[in-house]
Amino acid sequence: MSNPLALLGRAAQYALLTLAAFVSIFPFFWMLIGATNTSADVTKGKASFGTALFDNIGKFFTTLDVPRLLFNSFFIAGIGTALTLVISSLAGYGFEIFRSRFREKVFAGLLLMLSVPFAALMIPLFIMMANLKLINTYQAIILPSVASIFIIFYFRQATKAFPHELRDAAKIDGLKEWQIFLFVYMPVMRSTYAAATIIVFMANWNNYLWPLIVLQTNEMKTLTLATASLISAYVPDWGVVMVGAIFATLPTLIIFFLLQRRFVEGMLGAVK
Amino acid sequence: MAQSQLARSEQINGWAFILPALALLGIFMVYPILWSLWMSFQTGRGMVMSFGGFTNIVRLTQDPVFIRALTNTLTFLAIQVPIMLVLALLFANALNDSKLWGRSWFRTAIFLPCVTSLVAYSVVFRSMFGAEGIINQMLLSLHLIASPIPWLADPFWAKVVIVASITWRWTGYNMIFYLAAMQNIDRSIYEAAKIDGVPAWARFWYLTVPMLKPVILFTTVISTIGTLQLFDEPNLITLGGPSDSTLTLSLYIYNLSFKFMPSFGYAATVSYVIVLLVGILSVIQFFLARDRRA
Amino acid sequence: MSSVKLRGVRKIFGSLEVIKGVDLDIDAKEFVVFVGPSGCGKSTLLRMIAGLEPISKGDLEIGGKRMNDVDPSQRGIAMVFQTYALYPHMTVRENMGFALRFARVPKEQIARQVDAAARILALGPLMDRYPKELSGGQRQRVAIGRAIVRNPEVFLFDEPLSNLDAELRVHMRIEIARLHKELQTTIIYVTHDQVEAMTLADKIVVLRDGLVEQVGRPLDLYDDPANQFVAGFIGSPKMNFLPARIVDAGNGQATIVLRDHPEARLTMTVTGVSAGEEVQLGVRPEHFGAPGAGDADLTLEIDVAEHLGSTSYVYSRTDGEPLIIEREESRREIGQDRITVSISASQAYLFNKNGQRIR
Repeated sequence: MSNPLALLGRAAQYALLTLAAFVSIFPFFWMLIGATNTSADVTKGKASFGTALFDNIGKFFTTLDVPRLLFNSFFIAGIGTALTLVISSLAGYGFEIFRSRFREKVFAGLLLMLSVPFAALMIPLFIMMANLKLINTYQAIILPSVASIFIIFYFRQATKAFPHELRDAAKIDGLKEWQIFLFVYMPVMRSTYAAATIIVFMANWNNYLWPLIVLQTNEMKTLTLATASLISAYVPDWGVVMVGAIFATLPTLIIFFLLQRRFVEGMLGAVK
Repeated sequence: MAQSQLARSEQINGWAFILPALALLGIFMVYPILWSLWMSFQTGRGMVMSFGGFTNIVRLTQDPVFIRALTNTLTFLAIQVPIMLVLALLFANALNDSKLWGRSWFRTAIFLPCVTSLVAYSVVFRSMFGAEGIINQMLLSLHLIASPIPWLADPFWAKVVIVASITWRWTGYNMIFYLAAMQNIDRSIYEAAKIDGVPAWARFWYLTVPMLKPVILFTTVISTIGTLQLFDEPNLITLGGPSDSTLTLSLYIYNLSFKFMPSFGYAATVSYVIVLLVGILSVIQFFLARDRRA
Repeated sequence: MSSVKLRGVRKIFGSLEVIKGVDLDIDAKEFVVFVGPSGCGKSTLLRMIAGLEPISKGDLEIGGKRMNDVDPSQRGIAMVFQTYALYPHMTVRENMGFALRFARVPKEQIARQVDAAARILALGPLMDRYPKELSGGQRQRVAIGRAIVRNPEVFLFDEPLSNLDAELRVHMRIEIARLHKELQTTIIYVTHDQVEAMTLADKIVVLRDGLVEQVGRPLDLYDDPANQFVAGFIGSPKMNFLPARIVDAGNGQATIVLRDHPEARLTMTVTGVSAGEEVQLGVRPEHFGAPGAGDADLTLEIDVAEHLGSTSYVYSRTDGEPLIIEREESRREIGQDRITVSISASQAYLFNKNGQRIR
């Protein structure tokens, strides 16, 4: 490390990373500062903590029915995640364990559909939900995403590491196929389930476009949707908006910090 | 040959496990895609539609707003995806160094943006890029600019804001893929190159990048699909404006279907443009990245 | 303690036939070892008996009952897997009682049976541990214990020792032999290691390419192999094959000359050969004698000599193939460059071009 060129390289490396880290962190910092300032101060770019925090929180709770929004968000994300994991892990396991030439073709078809943009689905889905009188219901949000091709693929990949001899042993022990799935596969693969839970919960929690289309009354809205609606006011109250943004970000942020390794594993999982 | 009972029960189970997912995908994916294709040949307003043949396709070519949305989307794609992936690769390379002090701290910081909700970060960015907002304040105080930039009011700068926002949100996500792939590369390859006197930049360019090719392809495809569907950021940060300068195809479809008097048939046609783009670009990317040694 | 009977058993994957018609009778309480090189179908055959692979054609009977379509758990079998296949999320006790739980056996009885099996294998102190907290040998014993708990009619072992180190393998081999004595059950055991087969089996089934090459008691296979494949597979180091030619045949006798050693002429009691036929002469490394002690002498160039103390292995070559000679005399008596050894007609085997034994 005595070589001046190498030293320069080191310095450049730290400079690059420090700048990147600063840019990455700054909006979080800004969100916190903003929540303590008045709307006028946020607009003026006041970069120090203010005294309006409790005022903003109070306004946030009076403008919006926050407990109801939180319930909606957690309910939709929670039920949606549970159903997605069950349905999609069943399929991922099924595709990997019970191979047949025809099912491989079906799977290849699913992979092709993986890149179908949601924009191509949303109009028919909306009309379908309208016909079924499901507009503005939890079902309308949850059902379309329960069978997730990505999560099926994720579980199929993970199942490749599931020892086949365990299934053989369980068969000889007298378990039916569904019992093998329930009593052997699921407990053995719990870290896969944990990682998948994080990805799916995140996706459900952060979903914006589909709830925007389907959820129409205030008492059905999710927290993210309500937060988004705060800025569509003619003159948004930015302090309150920041409080909303904090509420919308906090759950995923907490999950991330508690389960950082699982979180990253989950994201990487499908491309192994 | 009659199948044995065991072989038959394997078949039954094979379908039983995937059937719930297949049924749901059939209802909520296959059927809507086909319906949407059929719809793209329909014209009319609201629920009253009639067969229009290629009317919608003709309308596409004469619709300046569509042309604008298409060029905007492709512009975002062409500028944002390369910037983001190059940054992600650089950060990953800088972090892939066990002697680096504060390595996990840097990694966590750069990864953090992709933990936020799209809505939350979009509203925060909108506040930051106000005319008197914090970004202008900082640039002014650093004397990088002489007068405030009209970020959200100018068509060019609005596009810059969108590109910057998406890059902020997704660079760390892509970096994690690269970092994981880099850590799977055998260290002794680099040691051998060092002993052979290969300089650092050449180790990066001739060793790391080729070995990361599959991951780079993967992230390129994922980012392309994501950018082609861009909706949340333009809808929340710039509202597609000013004067449609950040209008994307997805946003246009949304507007056609749910904002104005619904024109579902035409909106479906626009949505098939995205399908087509995703298909074409995926094929091109696989073609470009295919292994030439094979 | 059931017998197992296979009749014309075949396994076909698409257009690929892996088991090409196997007929086999396994008596109750017999220890049978399936042995053969990898890919010979021995594991597939075992899995078909277990019910893990459907039988494409033919019949399988266990205890006189046709079992082709019976669920694995109802066949009266238990299986020990190569990777042990212990459920990682259960303790040893839970692993061993798992099958009984699903057979709706009352809890107290499960506990009794598990404890009994634990006693046989001395698993007592390990009962509340998880598989990942056990050594390889301990896992193996738990896997065997799990099989014992089910009180099966037939034990199936699929290469159970191949994941253990050499020392432990010998130890577990003895343990399995002891268990067979103690439990008096039918055991079907798959291995690619002929030493395991020789030491454990009452009856060895040698398989190759989905077909049974020979069935017999270990020493019968050693003394009287039916063909060149079995001759080469059973015995260690393996049998040497020397190219030879029949120069005279008749009256139940044939005289052969080694192709690379024309000085060695040997007269053997065989029928069904004619003069001029090309044959292979099989001689086990341990059957080479001192010069003049046998029926013919031959002198070989030494490539390498390995001295292991009590025995020495001398490596030479004939027809490009390595040739191994086992000698028990002192290392000083083995020369540096050449060695002269004798072969006896009574301890040599003749095989025709197709690898079939000529008797």
